[in-house]
Amino acid sequence: MRESHLKILQYITAIGIFFLVGLHLIISHLSSGEPTDWTSVAQRASSASWLAAYILILIFGIYHGLHGVRGLILEFSLPDRAVKVLNYSIVFVGIAVFGYAIYIPVHAF
Amino acid sequence: MEKITFKVQRYDPDKDKKPHIQVFTIPFKHGMTVLDGLIYIKENVDNTLSFRSSCRMGICGSCGMLINNLPMLACHTPIEELKKDTITVKSLPNFPIVRDLVSDLSLLFAKHKSIKPYIIAPDMAEIEKPTAEFLQAQGQLVEFVQFAYCVKCGLCMAACPTMATDKHFLGPQPLAQAYRYSADRRDSGAKERFRETDTPHGIWLCHLAGACSEACPKGVDPALAMQLLKRGIISDSLRLRKKPVPPSVAPPQAEKKPRVAVPDFTIKKPGAKS
Repeated sequence: MRESHLKILQYITAIGIFFLVGLHLIISHLSSGEPTDWTSVAQRASSASWLAAYILILIFGIYHGLHGVRGLILEFSLPDRAVKVLNYSIVFVGIAVFGYAIYIPVHAF
Repeated sequence: MEKITFKVQRYDPDKDKKPHIQVFTIPFKHGMTVLDGLIYIKENVDNTLSFRSSCRMGICGSCGMLINNLPMLACHTPIEELKKDTITVKSLPNFPIVRDLVSDLSLLFAKHKSIKPYIIAPDMAEIEKPTAEFLQAQGQLVEFVQFAYCVKCGLCMAACPTMATDKHFLGPQPLAQAYRYSADRRDSGAKERFRETDTPHGIWLCHLAGACSEACPKGVDPALAMQLLKRGIISDSLRLRKKPVPPSVAPPQAEKKPRVAVPDFTIKKPGAKS
């Protein structure tokens, strides 16, 4: 995958996070009612559209964050072999974090 | 007579463990440049001082140095403009030191070479054995000519903060030249250059600090070139980039019409009766 493809995904996930986290903030903190009430949480947890939104936030957030960390590390003079190790490590961490984090919303659904 | 103080970096790899500063006080004349001062020191005070210079008029790029903590061309820097009584001169940062004020620029030239800084045309036979010039409209020239003013002095590479942390980073000069050639309508090698620059140590490590454009003595604005290169690479990745039209060659000159023959009766032959 070319660096430009990764960068395009970084921009897309940034826009996605802006809208999805914005939606989350509006629902959780700006709307009327008790969004943190157990019944409200349970209702959202059993909704397919909310599940999709949570999964998207998770994917976008993990990708955006880890790609940013990768960019920080790449600022240093790493040889090509170290860059390969870094790439595989980032992918492994991302999949592991996603697998761990996806359990709760899927289980609640 | 007015005097000016020069604090000059000295380093002899055969004798010194690390660079040190040597102080010289020399006569100052109105209009003197930093290079004039260094030449005076070499000719009159210490002939072991080593530095590069050539054209002394800001066109060759040889005399790039760190002058009062800013990368500049020594020949292009009048002492009066610095507004200081003490001038500190060191070799360019981000490059290894060969000796005194002489930097090892081989990495710059290697990186420049890696981006294929020449016209790549579909008809390479025409490039190698040209029959005529490639046609290019004035408006097409304007799109890239600013970036063609680069003299490869290395000041932008010395100023770049990313170069300071990552020696593998291509750097402003090669990246700007990659755009210069990719934007040239006579060229069809943009994809090859994108492959070289769209890498982990390529264009995406540029964070638009802008120090390169500030340091450039020729007004090239490498920062602008790099942002345009990013745009070109993204367009190419999204398959939005227009396919380049092969350059056309100037048509052959029209055949000259034969000259009108002069009638014989107008020319008198010698000895002929009138």
